[in-house]
Amino acid sequence: MIRTANPLAQEPRYELITQVLRENIAEGRLPPGLVLLEGPIAALMQTSRAPVQSALRRLQAEGLIHRFEGRGFLVGPPGAEVAPLRRDIRDFALEIPAAVDDALQVRGTWRHVYDQVEEEVATCQVFGEYRIVETELADYLGVSRTVVRDVLARLQERGLIQKNPSSHWIAGPLTARTLREKFELRAIVEPAALRLAAPHIRYAAVEAIRNRIGADPDLTWEALEDALMDECIAQAPNTTLVEMIRNNRLLLSAVNRALTGLGLPPDDIALDQYRTLFHLIARHPIDSAAEYLRDHLHIMARKNLARMKIVAVISETRKLAPYLTPQ
Amino acid sequence: MRSTGKTEVNGALAAPPGVARRRLRVRGTSITLLSQMREQAERDLGFRVDYELLDFVECQRRAALEPEAYDVYEHCFQNLDIVWFWGALQPIDTQRIVEWDSMSDLTKTGGVSKYAWRGHGDAPVGKLYIQPGGFLGDRPGRQIAMLPTVHNVDSFGFDPRVFGTGEAPRTPSWAWLLDPRAKGRIALVDEPAIGLFDAALAAEATGELSFADIGNMTIAEIDALMALLEDRRRQGYFCGSWRNGEDAARLLHEGRVAVQSMWSPVYGDLGPMTGLFAEAAPAEGYRAWHGGASLSRHAAGAELDMAYEYLNWWLAGRAGAIMARQGYYISTPERARTQMTPEEWAYWYEGAPAACDLPGPSGQIVVRAGARRAGGAYRERLSRIAVWNTVMEEYNYAVRVWDRFIQRVNAGAP
Repeated sequence: MIRTANPLAQEPRYELITQVLRENIAEGRLPPGLVLLEGPIAALMQTSRAPVQSALRRLQAEGLIHRFEGRGFLVGPPGAEVAPLRRDIRDFALEIPAAVDDALQVRGTWRHVYDQVEEEVATCQVFGEYRIVETELADYLGVSRTVVRDVLARLQERGLIQKNPSSHWIAGPLTARTLREKFELRAIVEPAALRLAAPHIRYAAVEAIRNRIGADPDLTWEALEDALMDECIAQAPNTTLVEMIRNNRLLLSAVNRALTGLGLPPDDIALDQYRTLFHLIARHPIDSAAEYLRDHLHIMARKNLARMKIVAVISETRKLAPYLTPQ
Repeated sequence: MRSTGKTEVNGALAAPPGVARRRLRVRGTSITLLSQMREQAERDLGFRVDYELLDFVECQRRAALEPEAYDVYEHCFQNLDIVWFWGALQPIDTQRIVEWDSMSDLTKTGGVSKYAWRGHGDAPVGKLYIQPGGFLGDRPGRQIAMLPTVHNVDSFGFDPRVFGTGEAPRTPSWAWLLDPRAKGRIALVDEPAIGLFDAALAAEATGELSFADIGNMTIAEIDALMALLEDRRRQGYFCGSWRNGEDAARLLHEGRVAVQSMWSPVYGDLGPMTGLFAEAAPAEGYRAWHGGASLSRHAAGAELDMAYEYLNWWLAGRAGAIMARQGYYISTPERARTQMTPEEWAYWYEGAPAACDLPGPSGQIVVRAGARRAGGAYRERLSRIAVWNTVMEEYNYAVRVWDRFIQRVNAGAP
């Protein structure tokens, strides 16, 4: 039986990151006033931003770091009058224990292959129901079955696959009903989360992204969805709610990427709606933004249902990954 | 300004030799792309009209993916759900449509009368007007996605020798499409937004299935329908499928079918089955469809002007008369009437017995004196719509399971 020898590899990533930052603050390697930003920490730890976000929130709760006017957090307890120190975190001799580093790396292995598999699995569902055979996926990726299991666990968590009664991994079929239900849930919980988040929204970031709409031709619909999530909704001081919203969105964004990858046309009209939404969030009482968001999500639901229909003209003959077996 | 294009027509004819004649490219299906239509349009409009004739499924696919390859697209309202949302079309300005105000209520408001049952599924009015946000809906506005032209209510055809007329003729039922008396001699139209509903109406009529909304089936309902069809297929009920009128006629000429999905023009081409194959007016009502013409996103300048002339020509009368001779109704019937003989009008629109032999679009006799159109007059038939051809929410799923089923039917798989 192949099993990783490092017990830390079983720990959640945010736990490991919290631990590293906590110790480095305690030992003074990260000085008071240093601005901590998600992106650079995520890059340093070779992980996504989500666990870093959770870690920072935990450290804030512990009083080791605090919020300030700008983006990110300052090292030190709240109320400490320190000037923000804006420097690259890599300039400080951050100590990452070998075991923790190793654990993050082990987790990293599945990360290297995950995005590719997610795209292939999201795409195939458009065409119907497929079975994934663990050993075939391992051969295809050239990785161990342990890594494959990590990948499959993540896909399951994102709602992209499930086990059928005979314990086979099944992907799809992707139906209009699934999409409609996901959007219904979004329209219920996201406006509520936006109201809760109001005092904590990163208003400067919202203004910045709003100004890019129309001016920056590379700005995608996805980037706007991410901004709505990261800068606004995710700031709600209710981690359970935020986690639920994140999970509910995972399948939708995977599907959207898959459909765009299949050549579906982009939706330009949506950009205007985001401009209005971000304007309301930044400049008006949060209730107006929450109501607009609810409306916007109803429209997005209709658009996504319409997109699901037009996929029908794309033929099944395109080559799917070999580990996917039509059912 | 409204463009009827008459002056431009004369200008084009007067063009000096060596200047390329103006040309309009029309992509569509066998519903409307008849050589008689093209010739009549060229005579009336004075520019060249190129037709590209494709089957339903292929036409829709290529219209969505290659909008630069045509100026005008002729298909049915249900597939706006595909082609409009791919962004392949541009809005039609109704102020440039001369007959817009005189068009029939069926498309503009949804039914032949205020009280007529609208039918399940997507009535064309629900896809007619362009709404804020790029959606299509029934709230009237100046811009439309497709100009409503021909329409009809479809059913199936049957061999009365099998289903019995004689002393006490029974009212035909969609159930006959799954009837053991026709086992091995049943064919369906292979178009998932059409044939699937013929099969669904049949399954409801036999009492085996019941759909909460036959016009918008759930995944479970689609699965149940396909399981039922697969079971019948294994028992050898189906002898084939068809995608256009010619193939439907071939099955009849070869004497292979006792009951099948039918399109109106095929009744004019029954071959050896003439007199032995009848059009049903089903007890449960009809499956309705509405055709129309749309503008490619890329049409602009002179091409766009020609396209509008062509759209206006569609409603002006002659086109409607040609369509009537193959059993299709037009959205401006009074204009078509001026181009039809009183006997033609009485038979096709009023449901009266044919006073004399009547020609089809090609001039060949398709209706014998004394015959009556099944189902009666226009309003009578259009008041009995069970379901419209529809691209349902779960269309993508339905298409793929339907295609697999049809492949097995055509392969004669065990």
